[in-house]
Amino acid sequence: MKNRIKVERAEKNISQAELADQIGVSRQTINSIETGRYVPSTILALKMARVFDRRVEDIFQLEETD
Amino acid sequence: MKTQWLFPHRFRLVGWLILLPSIALGLAYMYADFQLEFLTISFAKGKGFLGGELTINLTDEVAALGVIAGLLMIGFSKELIEDEMVGHMRLEALQWSIYVNYIILAIAILFVHGERFFDVLIYNMFTMLIVFVIRFNMLLYKNSRVLAL
Repeated sequence: MKNRIKVERAEKNISQAELADQIGVSRQTINSIETGRYVPSTILALKMARVFDRRVEDIFQLEETD
Repeated sequence: MKTQWLFPHRFRLVGWLILLPSIALGLAYMYADFQLEFLTISFAKGKGFLGGELTINLTDEVAALGVIAGLLMIGFSKELIEDEMVGHMRLEALQWSIYVNYIILAIAILFVHGERFFDVLIYNMFTMLIVFVIRFNMLLYKNSRVLAL
């Protein structure tokens, strides 16, 4: 699965720690999701989409290997 | 992993405060024949074998229960930020601890025989919890060493 979290964060000028605080998770979780080491739950993905004011599919993309 | 079955975060310290003396007490009981005299209780006067009274010392019970309570508190206290990824790591560590515990036990079953196996059984009461605590904290540590961006 690919994600555009880093790009979205840069556009909105939010750090990993700030994003983590807004969603209610730890910074390590945001980092793990960004680097593809952890797949977030649906609720977490929806919360992230809300912060960036985008749809979930615009932030997370399915790959052939999934 | 739902967080409703976890202790509050400060119980982790309480767990250590209970665990370390209990381990010391248990090892002293097993290898130095040490007993706490005030834990000796006698009962059933006249009902023991041949009509004598029954006397037991509870040092080993207290030590074992202390180790169990301490390890449970250390392993199952909430992290400072208890989010879904921490719950995921906790489940992973639990699975690991079951595998490792039974592999070690199987090796011990093969190579330890007779009375000495009783020692294996005593340690085996606690190894699953010990391995879980170690593995869970390893995962937490590996995760915390991430570069900030």
